[in-house]
Amino acid sequence: MKPALSVIFFTVSSGAGLGLLVWLLIASLMADHIRMDGATFYKGALIAGLFITAGLVSSTLHLANRKNAIYSLTRIKTSWLSREGLLAVLLYPVAGLHLAGLHFGWPQITPVTLWLLVADAIAILFCTGMIYGCLRTVPRWNTWMTPTKYVLFGLMSGAVLLPAVLSLRPADVGPVGKPMVAILLLGLGLVLYFSYLLKHPRAQHTINDALGFKQGKVRLLDVGHSHGTFLTNEFGFSVAREKARLLRWIAIGSAFVLPMVLCYFTKWFWAASFVCIAGLLVERWLFFAEAEHVVRLYHGQQSV
Amino acid sequence: MRLGLAIDLDTCVGCHACAVACKEWNGQSLMGGAPDYDAWGKAPTGTWYNRIRNYELEGDPTYSPHSCGTSHGTAAHQPLSKTVNVPMSCMHCEEAHCVTVCPTGASYKRAEDGIVLVDPSRCMGCNYCAWACPYGARELDEDKGVMKKCTLCVDRIYDEQLAVEDRQPACVLACPTHARHFGDYDDQQSKVSLLAASRGTQSMLDELGYKPTNAYLSPRKPVEIKTELPIRAGLSDKAKAFVNRLIQL
Repeated sequence: MKPALSVIFFTVSSGAGLGLLVWLLIASLMADHIRMDGATFYKGALIAGLFITAGLVSSTLHLANRKNAIYSLTRIKTSWLSREGLLAVLLYPVAGLHLAGLHFGWPQITPVTLWLLVADAIAILFCTGMIYGCLRTVPRWNTWMTPTKYVLFGLMSGAVLLPAVLSLRPADVGPVGKPMVAILLLGLGLVLYFSYLLKHPRAQHTINDALGFKQGKVRLLDVGHSHGTFLTNEFGFSVAREKARLLRWIAIGSAFVLPMVLCYFTKWFWAASFVCIAGLLVERWLFFAEAEHVVRLYHGQQSV
Repeated sequence: MRLGLAIDLDTCVGCHACAVACKEWNGQSLMGGAPDYDAWGKAPTGTWYNRIRNYELEGDPTYSPHSCGTSHGTAAHQPLSKTVNVPMSCMHCEEAHCVTVCPTGASYKRAEDGIVLVDPSRCMGCNYCAWACPYGARELDEDKGVMKKCTLCVDRIYDEQLAVEDRQPACVLACPTHARHFGDYDDQQSKVSLLAASRGTQSMLDELGYKPTNAYLSPRKPVEIKTELPIRAGLSDKAKAFVNRLIQL
């Protein structure tokens, strides 16, 4: 699949923002314990909001006809994309209500809105994953690991961002402790990423299945067009194996290992967040670039 | 009704007349155009509702029964024995996943005749339906930013101003070898149903569960030509052989 930069940025940026929102809200329940003051909470909320909003704006960049985007909230019964859009739009009024509740002191409202926001953020991550996971036409995505990956990686990058946000506390509070949740989630993310790489389906569909000639060898003689088409442009993307291998190690090192080291041994939480998000961008690029659509079979590929 | 095409892989010669006729009709139809980009330039491309690809089939015993030499089994089958031309357009699937994934409701499947269409006034051009289609049937109209696909010439087949025989998709009318047929698969006695039943159809990614309506009629099996002479057994055969030998003396 063509790795569209707007979608890659959207999934990573919104993912990190939603993850940060979840952990920030949970941290606000124990604000006294972790010594998070109000100003720091609002700063964190602002950062999360910026990440989420930048991602959502970026997601509209790949639309060829943006003026009809409003209709995309209307098919929540069947479409994961529609569900994601609606939940993402709902996030803003609920967040506004929660902030109003905090500001004006409505103790009966804030617990409800808090857990609504947490649930909504995780649901958005899940829906984003299901947009790709539900496609039977892309065997590599069509696994339970895809939505799990989106939820876990979102929560993971958010958990790395949280200590960075906490480090914005006034200096007299003292340094932030070891972010064990972030380290645990980075470890889980690494395990999930490895299992995704090891388990992904290989050769589920062949050119014989595509054309219905079950015996013998089928080869493409003529693709019928002299230059690229919409289909070759959208689905014909291939990444060189050497390049993919290099990028994979970069992704593993940058998204998981290096942030874990930084979180455990240093206090450079902003650096850890930056490295983690950069690594996730590479990981997401590979997620698209390496996925193969079954229509490639009709263009002569022997198996997908 | 379950309208669809039956495409004969035996008689299709891969001439692209169906694609050209499709482009000609839909390029200016009410349903909204199939533009070309850089048509006279160095890298011409465009939006097509129908594309023809050409494959070769090697070593399938069904289609290459002529044995080579004296050995038997798959190794003996003549290589490069079959070429098939496969025109592909929207299959108008019964389980059209392109419709269910569409977030705007622009993609829809008509209840009355099963035709899958795109409403350009709702489509936001996110390409998600094209991702969900295994057959590569959907292509973006980059001029208007909306998804385009085969409409089964919905603006032809119901047009009562046309003669009855002309109320068929443009591709079907254009096909010079009559490899394309149009009809209702719900009607067991329709031409397409009878053809599909009698000729057998190709299963094209049926395991994905989309239940495509269009049928690809399997190529007819070639007649096997025996290379060995018949065994001579009877008295008359022996007499004929004797006479043959006499003549050859």
